[in-house]
Amino acid sequence: MKGLLIDSVRCTGCRGCQVACKQWNRRQAEKTEFFSGPGYQNPADLSKETWCLVTYNEVKINGRFEWVFGKKQCMHCQIPGCASACPVGALEKLPSGPVIYHKGKCIGCRYCMLACPFLVPRFEFDSPNPYITKCTMCQDRQELGEIPACAKACPTQAIVFGERDALVAEARQRIASAPSVYTHHIYGLEEAGGTCVLHISRVPFEDLGYITDIPKRPLYAGTAPAMKAIPAVMLGAALILGASYKLRNRTRAGEPAGGHE
Amino acid sequence: MATMPATKGRFGFGSLLLAVLGALGIALAIYRFSRGIGAVSNLNQGYPWGFWIGFDVLAGIALAAGGFVIAAVVHIFGGERYHPLVRPAILTAFLGYLLFITALLVDLGRPWMIWDMIIFHHHESPMFEVGWCVMCYTFVLLVEFLPVVFERYGMSGALRAWKNLSPLVAIVLLVVFAYLLSHSGTWTVIIAAVLVLYELGIRGGALPRDRGVPTLLIMAGIIFSTLHQSSLGTLFLMVPHKLSAIWYSPALPVMFFISAVMAGLAMVIVESTLSAWFFGRGLELDLLRGLGRGLSWVMLLYLALRGLDIVIRGVGGELLVATPQATAFWIEIVVGLLLPLAVLLTPEWLATGRGLFWAALLVVIGLVINRINVAVTGISGGYWPTYYPRWMEVAISVGIVSVGILAYLAICRHFPIFEEKRAAAGGGAGA
Repeated sequence: MKGLLIDSVRCTGCRGCQVACKQWNRRQAEKTEFFSGPGYQNPADLSKETWCLVTYNEVKINGRFEWVFGKKQCMHCQIPGCASACPVGALEKLPSGPVIYHKGKCIGCRYCMLACPFLVPRFEFDSPNPYITKCTMCQDRQELGEIPACAKACPTQAIVFGERDALVAEARQRIASAPSVYTHHIYGLEEAGGTCVLHISRVPFEDLGYITDIPKRPLYAGTAPAMKAIPAVMLGAALILGASYKLRNRTRAGEPAGGHE
Repeated sequence: MATMPATKGRFGFGSLLLAVLGALGIALAIYRFSRGIGAVSNLNQGYPWGFWIGFDVLAGIALAAGGFVIAAVVHIFGGERYHPLVRPAILTAFLGYLLFITALLVDLGRPWMIWDMIIFHHHESPMFEVGWCVMCYTFVLLVEFLPVVFERYGMSGALRAWKNLSPLVAIVLLVVFAYLLSHSGTWTVIIAAVLVLYELGIRGGALPRDRGVPTLLIMAGIIFSTLHQSSLGTLFLMVPHKLSAIWYSPALPVMFFISAVMAGLAMVIVESTLSAWFFGRGLELDLLRGLGRGLSWVMLLYLALRGLDIVIRGVGGELLVATPQATAFWIEIVVGLLLPLAVLLTPEWLATGRGLFWAALLVVIGLVINRINVAVTGISGGYWPTYYPRWMEVAISVGIVSVGILAYLAICRHFPIFEEKRAAAGGGAGA
């Protein structure tokens, strides 16, 4: 299963990934205002046109403020809540890693957005013919044997593409080789049951504005017991209804039940 | 026609108001389809679900539960004296589901693709389960309602065909559904076998035969309702990270089911009282009091479960802090459970139709608050600005409900729904 390792320590905030993402995925430029987000961050948030965003965070390190960069994009969960939620399978987890969107199937219910713990899918609220949009881990480039545009563009290997297992090892190695620089947490290793996109950073992820109170198990674990019980509930209900129908009407054996007219 | 006294005086202003509200709702819905959801609502990327899901979908479906509850009481559990309430309850449920589907079309971003649910099956998704159940149950309600039309137009041949065919329709729907949701041949065969045995038993005389409505049809309605009323709660089991711990509980599906039974009963009381007043017909006070007693038992059970759930999960502390969520919780409990229980458990208040009506109305309001709490108040949208419904969202929902009330009144006027009217229409062998 492929994934991305995003190393905030190596990120210089050049936003080459952001531009490469737009170019490859043919996303329009957005009309934005400078300083609309925190500091030099631009634009303020992910949107239907921006699937990859470098976030700018001023964090106090050793008594002085420093820029620490984060990256917002789809985390490509191993067992994605969005795909578990989708009633028509418009969101699909590919065995190779990416979570992709089949726009032709989507009914626009937005349950994927509710389910996503990382607040990633964007809905086109301003369109009469709206779709969900989000990062695809450049699945189309991967099919051509290329690596995702953001990883290709990154000049400092702050974004590395590869097998998830190898990336986890790489992340551990980077942390181990500079334990005083990195915070000892691989974001995405356990979050929501594990994601294909992994982040490492020099500051705790709360300071980067990442959502951190995320369950460690896949979201599907919450709904699965109830969903699996459905055939048993059907059978149980049928048996109870049959039994009480028989018992309640036994007193009037030989007579038709219920027909008092 | 002559049996139903003309009530033009009451009709005049009220129905004009309903028509205006309905027209406004339709106009806003057209505007929404030309400009997108963002043009009429405050929904945002952090709060993808809002008033429409809470009120139209969650509350609307729960309030339409009266149809299956009354049908179960009368046709399965032997409460035959409640028979006069069946048809109004089935009609309310049928209209309720049609309205809810209309409202859902407004809320869905791409409603013209809703057929995808029939083609693409994702049986892990609670939304898929709800969608299929609602489709099947609305169809069952249509079939349950058909005899009214047959009676009205004296189509006795159609009525006979209906009695023969509708159990088969019910079995086919249930079996297809069982297969789609389980993807297991074994489960499908077991469920199919039980249902076919019942039908053979009824046709062969081993089981009693209900002369009014085929029992399998009633059972299908009850089973589909049980499943989707609870699955509406399952929807929110996906979001332990977003729904406040006050409401997030693994028992949410059970809570949703029990509270739907509760709200369904309350709605039958409210609606019978109002329609009796409106049409100037006799109120079935004795029957409604019986329902009121049943309602108080269901409420006690629900209250006990909610309390137990909060104690077991240890979230009592969160209820004592002055947060908007805790406040919303207490409003929900006091208005929807404690106040109406106090009324229902006081014999003097229960004896009057008025006390019963207000208690039931409070239960209905409390249910609406509960569902909005789960869908909106209790949800945290991360760093996104808090969501409040925009007036146009509310106006669209109000418009849809207004059209529903007008349709209900029109159908009650022209079709044999109430007992008086059925007697006038020459009895009829249907239910």
